[in-house]
Amino acid sequence: MTGFVVVAIALFLTPAIVKAADMPPFFVIFLFSVFFWVAQASSWNVLTGFSGYFSFGQGAWFGIGVYAVAVLTGKHGWSFIAALPMAGFLALVAGLGLGLVVFRLRRLTGEIFALTTLAIAFVLAALARLVPAIDGGTGIFMTGTPIPEFLGEFNTAMYRMTLTIMLLAVLASYLTYSSRLGWGLFSIRDDESVAGGLGIPVFRYKMIALGINAFFAGLMGGVWSLRIGFVTVDEVFNIRVPLFVILMSVLGGLGHWMGPVVGAVIIFTLSDRLNSAGLTDVNQIIIGSLLVVLALAVKDGIYGRMRDRWLTTLITFFGVMVVTAIFDLTGSLISDFAIAMVTTVVVLMVPDRLWGRIRGRGGPDREEGPPVGIEAMTGSGP
Amino acid sequence: MGLLAQGIATGILIGGLYALMSLGISLSWGALKIINLAHFSFILLSAYLVYQITISFGVDPLLTTGVVLPLFFVFGALMQMFFHRFKVDEFKSLIVTFGVFIILQSMMQSIWSADFRTIAPDLNIYRSSSIRIAGVALPIPSLMAFLAAVLIAVAMSVLLSRTYFGKAVRAVAQDAEMARAFGVDTKRVAVLLSGLSAVFSALAGVFIAVGQQIFPGLAVSWFGIVFPVVILGGLGHTVGTLTAGVIVGVAYGVAAVMWAPLAAPLVTFLILIAALLFRPHGLLTSRSVA
Amino acid sequence: MSLLTVTDVSKRFGGVVALDGVSMTMGEGEILGLVGPNGSGKSTLINVLSGFYPTDRGTVVFGGEDTTGAPAHKLAALGIARTYQIPRPFGTMTPRENIAVSYMFGHSRHSLEGARDAAQEWLDFTGLAGVADIGIEELTLHQLKFLELARALATQPNLLLLDEVLAGLNPSEINESVEMIRRIHAQGITILIVEHVVRAVTALSDRLVVLNQGAVIAEGEPEAVMSNPAVVTAYLGDRGRRA
Repeated sequence: MTGFVVVAIALFLTPAIVKAADMPPFFVIFLFSVFFWVAQASSWNVLTGFSGYFSFGQGAWFGIGVYAVAVLTGKHGWSFIAALPMAGFLALVAGLGLGLVVFRLRRLTGEIFALTTLAIAFVLAALARLVPAIDGGTGIFMTGTPIPEFLGEFNTAMYRMTLTIMLLAVLASYLTYSSRLGWGLFSIRDDESVAGGLGIPVFRYKMIALGINAFFAGLMGGVWSLRIGFVTVDEVFNIRVPLFVILMSVLGGLGHWMGPVVGAVIIFTLSDRLNSAGLTDVNQIIIGSLLVVLALAVKDGIYGRMRDRWLTTLITFFGVMVVTAIFDLTGSLISDFAIAMVTTVVVLMVPDRLWGRIRGRGGPDREEGPPVGIEAMTGSGP
Repeated sequence: MGLLAQGIATGILIGGLYALMSLGISLSWGALKIINLAHFSFILLSAYLVYQITISFGVDPLLTTGVVLPLFFVFGALMQMFFHRFKVDEFKSLIVTFGVFIILQSMMQSIWSADFRTIAPDLNIYRSSSIRIAGVALPIPSLMAFLAAVLIAVAMSVLLSRTYFGKAVRAVAQDAEMARAFGVDTKRVAVLLSGLSAVFSALAGVFIAVGQQIFPGLAVSWFGIVFPVVILGGLGHTVGTLTAGVIVGVAYGVAAVMWAPLAAPLVTFLILIAALLFRPHGLLTSRSVA
Repeated sequence: MSLLTVTDVSKRFGGVVALDGVSMTMGEGEILGLVGPNGSGKSTLINVLSGFYPTDRGTVVFGGEDTTGAPAHKLAALGIARTYQIPRPFGTMTPRENIAVSYMFGHSRHSLEGARDAAQEWLDFTGLAGVADIGIEELTLHQLKFLELARALATQPNLLLLDEVLAGLNPSEINESVEMIRRIHAQGITILIVEHVVRAVTALSDRLVVLNQGAVIAEGEPEAVMSNPAVVTAYLGDRGRRA
C-alpha cells in the first residue's frame, strides 16, 4: 500500500518536474495517454481476467462515457464537472443492464456474454447515429467546453484527471484481486458451477465485476471526450479500445492486477512509437499478429515472468535504457524506453525450459512458484 | 402496404444470406466449441476476391466460385489444424480468432483501401435484375443467396443425420472424448467441418460481392446481425439457422422500410436480447447439432 | 426429527425419466448409502439435492426448511456440501487455496484473513499437507478425490453428499477412503454416499436405499437390502436370481 502512495505522489508531481527540467510537454501528453490505457485495461481485466467472462464491450462503456459528457455539456449546457460522474454512472447502468439479461442464463453464459458485448458497441453506434438528440451523424464539438480552472491548463488538467481515475481504477483492481470478491471471481473463472455449489454468490459477484469494468471505462471516457475534441460515432465506437485492452491484458497477464498495467505501458508505448515513425497501416497487422502470438505463446502473461526473472528484467531493461541514452541512439527518451521494453519483453518470452538451460542453473531467478494468485493469501502485498 | 410487402419479401431473401453468413460460425461453435470470429473476415475476403477476379479477368462473378470456394475450404481446414496444434480452447479461440480477424481486416484495407468497391454492371448482370411476383420485386442476388441457403440447410441436415460424417460430427459435438474412444478420428472430422464452414462463409461472400458494394467496415457491421441469428437458430442447427436468418432478415427489412435504415441494427439487437431472455437454446428444442 | 425429507421427487430430461417419484428420509448423523445399477438416477438425485437441477415435481425439506428448487449457493449456505464423481478442483489454484476458498464461502462463512491457515486443518485431515502448495495438475486421482473431500469438509456442512468418491481407486486406496469417511462421520456429519462399490458402501452405511430406473425399489439395513430379490434382479438381471 505504501508503494502505491509513493508512486501516486511521484506521478502527481511529474508535470511540475517536466516543466522545471524543460522537457518537451509531449511527455505529459504521453503519460496521460498511458494513464488512459492503464485504466481501461485494468477495469477490463477485473471482469474478463478475474471472472473469465470475456468482454468485447469495452468500446461500448467507453463510448457511453464519451457521449454522456459530450451530449450533456455540448447540447444541454451542463458543466464538465457535473457531467463527468454521469459518464461513469450511465456506463454502469448499461453494463448492469446487460448483466441482468445475460448472467442469469443457465447455459453458454460465457460465450453468449462475449458475443453480445461484441454486438453491443455496434448497436450503440447505430443508436447514436440515428438519434439526433445524441449525435444524429453530425458529431459534437467539445472544444467549447470549459474545464474548471483549478485543474490548470489543458494538458495538466487532462493529466490530473486521468491520473486520478487511473489510480482509482488500479486501486479497485488491486482491492478486488486481494479480497474475498477476487477469490470468488477466480473460482467462477475456474468452474462457475462448482463455485456456486460452494456458496459463492455467483450472480452478484459477476455483476460487481462488470459494474467496476463499465464504471471506470465510462468515467475515463468522459474525461477523454475533451481529448477527442470533435466527438463522432466513428471516432468513438471503433475497434481500437476493445482491441487494445484485450491485447494489453493478454500481454501483461490476465490473472493479476499488475498484468494490464504492465501490458498497457508496453503496448501503448510501442503503438505510439510506430505511429510517430509513420507506420500506421502496418500498426493493425502487427497488433493482430501480436494478439495471436501472445495468446498462444505466453500462457500467463509477461508479468508473472517479470517477477520470476526479476533480476534479468531489471538488468535488461536498465541496461538497454542506459546504452541507448548514452549513445543517443534514438532522438527521444520515449523511444529509448520503447526499445528497452521491447528487448526485455523478448527476453522474457523465452520459454521456461529453454531459459533454464541458458541460465545453466536449471531455473529462473527465484523458485517458480504456484500460479500467480498466491499473494493475496500470503498477504505479501502488491 | 406495398412498401411493407416489399420490405418483408426483401427481408426473407436477405435472411437467406444472413443464414449463409451465420452457418459457418454456428457449426464451428456447436460442433467444435470454437467461436471463430475470423469467419467475418472470410466472408469479406471472399467478396473482395470475387470482385478482384471478376474485374481482372472479366469473368462472370458466379464463376469465381470455382476458385474461391476450394480456396476457403483450405483456409478453414488449415485454421483448424492450427488450433489443434496449439491446443486452443474456447476462451483462447475468442482471442486468437479476433487477432486473425484484425490481421485480415488490415490486410484487406491495405490492399483494397477504404473505398467502396463495386463490380461494374457490364460484368455483373445480376445486380440490377429482379423478378416480379405479385407486385413485389425479388432482386436476383438475394434470391440466389436465399435459394443457396435453403439448399445448403436441407443438404446439411440430411448430411448430419444420414451420413457417417454427419454422425461423427454430431458425436464430436456432444462429447469429443467419447467420440474418440469410439474410434472417430476427431481431428479429421474437425478439419473437414472447419473447411466446410469456411466454404459457407465464402459462398456468402460471393453473393455479397454480386449484390452490393463492399468496403472494409462491412465485416464489423455484420456482428450485430450474425449473432442474433446464431443464437436464435441454435448452435449447429442448420435449419434453425435458416429460420432465424429469415426472421432477422424480415425484422431488419421491415425496420429499414418502416422506420429508418439506421434503426435496423437496433431491431436486430432487440431480437438478440429477446432471444436470450426467452429462447436461449434457439428455436428448436433439441440440444445437439442437427 | 429427520434432517432431510425427500417426497415424490421426479425429474425428466427430454424423453428420459431420471427420477420417478423418489421418496426417502435421512436422520441426523446417519450414513445413508444410495446404490443402484448404472443409469438408475443416483447422480441425478445428488444433483437435485445439491441444487444443480430443479425438480419437475415433489418437495425437498432440509433442516425443517422447504428447499425445493433452491439454487446451489443457497443450499451451500444451509449446510449441504457435495463432492463430484470426476474431481473438479479449481485448476489455477493450489490445493491449499482450493480449500481456503471453500472455507471462506461455505456454510460457516469466513473472511480472507486466516483462511489459508484454517485450510491446514483439512489438509492434515486428508493427508494432503505434503502437496498443499503445488499445482493441481501434479496430483494423483486419489489425491484429487481427497481434495474433493477436504474442500467439501471445509464448508463445515451438516449434510455431505458423496458422489461415487471411490470410483477409479485401487483396493488399498478404497480402504483408505472408507477410513476417511468413517472419521468424517465420527465428527457428526450426516453423509449420503452414492456408490458403485457395493462392498464398501454396505460396510459403511447405516441404511441403504436402492434406486432402479429412477425409482426406489428397496430400503433398509444393508444386508437385508442386498439380498432382496428385486435388488439382485436389478443389478444382475434374471440370471442373478437363479445363481
